[in-house]
Parts: sequence; C-alpha cells; structure tokens
Amino acid sequence: MFGWGNCWSVPVCLHGICPGILFSMIMSFSSISTVSYIDELGHHDDNARLAPTMENTYQMGPYKRFPANAATDILKDVLTSYLQEEKYEVEWSQKMTKTLCEVIRARVKELMIPRYKIVILVHIGQLTGQSMQISSRCLWDTSNDTFASHFFKNSSLFGVASVYAIYFE
Amino acid sequence: MSAKLCDICDVCTFSVNLCIENVVGGGDYSQSQVNKWTANIVERCLTQLVKQGKPYKYIVTCAVMQKTGAGLHTANSCYWDTAMDGSCTVRWENRTMYCVVSVFAVATA
Repeated sequence: MFGWGNCWSVPVCLHGICPGILFSMIMSFSSISTVSYIDELGHHDDNARLAPTMENTYQMGPYKRFPANAATDILKDVLTSYLQEEKYEVEWSQKMTKTLCEVIRARVKELMIPRYKIVILVHIGQLTGQSMQISSRCLWDTSNDTFASHFFKNSSLFGVASVYAIYFE
Repeated sequence: MSAKLCDICDVCTFSVNLCIENVVGGGDYSQSQVNKWTANIVERCLTQLVKQGKPYKYIVTCAVMQKTGAGLHTANSCYWDTAMDGSCTVRWENRTMYCVVSVFAVATA
C-alpha cells in the first residue's frame, strides 16, 4: 500500500485529529515520520467554494517592492532584543518561538507593503555542539518575490528567523 | 482549506517522506554530506509539487539536525488568505538525526 523503496518492514500508519491540526504518523523499523497540517475548522463546509473572481486591476507588478533590507533589520532587532540574555529552557523556548513569530509578523505588517503575502519561520535550538543545516528553496517569481533571514547565537542557544514575501497578482 | 490544497497535503504525506527516505535513507548523520542532503531534499520535494500543476507558488524548507539530545523548536506564522493558502510540515527521524521539512503553498491569482 505504501511504496517505500528501501524499507523492508511493514510500515505502521496512524491518523489522528487534534482541534485545528490533522496529523498522520508512519513508522518503519529504522525511521519515524509525522506529518501535520493546519485545517481551519470553520472551512469544512467551504470545500466546494471556488476562488473569488476579482475585477481586473490592469496592474502589471507591485507599485512598492518588499524591502528585504528593512526586513533583515527587523529580524536582527527582534532576535537580539528577545534572545540576548536568555538561557535555553524547554518550556520557555516553545513559547518564545511562537512569540517571535507573532512579533515579527506584526512588525513586517507595519511596513504596509500592499499585495504581499508573508510567511515567517523561526527556529530556536539548544547549543550542545551538534551540527545542523537549514536550507530552503522556492518556486516563485524572482522579480517580485523575495526573502530575508537572520541568525543569532549566544552562549546557550541559537535562533534563526526567515521572512518570505510573495506577491499576490 | 480548498480542495486543491488537500491534494498538496496528500502529496506532502507520501512524496516528501519518500524524498527524505531516498536521500537520507538508512544512513547516519554526516557533516560533509548534509549540505548535499538538504539541497537534494528541497529540490526533489519542489519537483514533486510542481508536477501537480496547481497554480501555487511554493516555499520548501528543510532542517537537518544531528541527534545529541539538544532541543529544537520551530514555529511559523503566516499572513495570507486562509481559504486558498496552506502549509504542511513533515518531521522525520532516524537513529542519528532529525529532519524537518516545511512546505508552504501560496495561491497566485
């Protein structure tokens, strides 16, 4: 039923629903994976809704481009002010990642760049000498869409924040 | 979430897992290879998503971390049209490493 080229044991698949989040878990002998995605509860009856038809604006591109430099400054400012003197703790880090996301989103929205959709990603981790690599790749319109990212480190933790701005035509 | 987006989540569930398994598979964490792994994972995931032929722009992020008992927290926040856009996160782990792949799909027009 599941095509795992190099897994030689029967995968176990579990599905579950938490309010607002659907997840499924697949386990094999050597690895475990969990998938989760957001399902807005209020939209269950909107599955058949078509995208709204907009009137033609005859606008060929954004009048104001997303300022990647200003976004980098915001990320630098937020990460430094929230993480500078902090020590890594599990509960605190969980809350702080979400807080940082909300704060960065509010600050980027204040830039008031119309017709841009924003995606913000924040990672906070403990420094124990482990190795880590974060990469991303995007399929978008390179003339209109852009991103900004910043990395912060102190003696016990590191923080990485990225902002992706996508133009909505 | 629109019906189109549900297809993308199905793609995520099976294809992304398959991409990770094929690239990283049963191997152990290797500092010299991790750059190549993350690049391959995001590229293959993006190729699978593009094959769906849906009118979406995609952002695929991959984080690979060695297992040393250290903690890692990831969060995302988005300002978009909740009816047409969506995201999916796949967390994969084996004996020596964690791999977290996030896919964001943003509708165009």
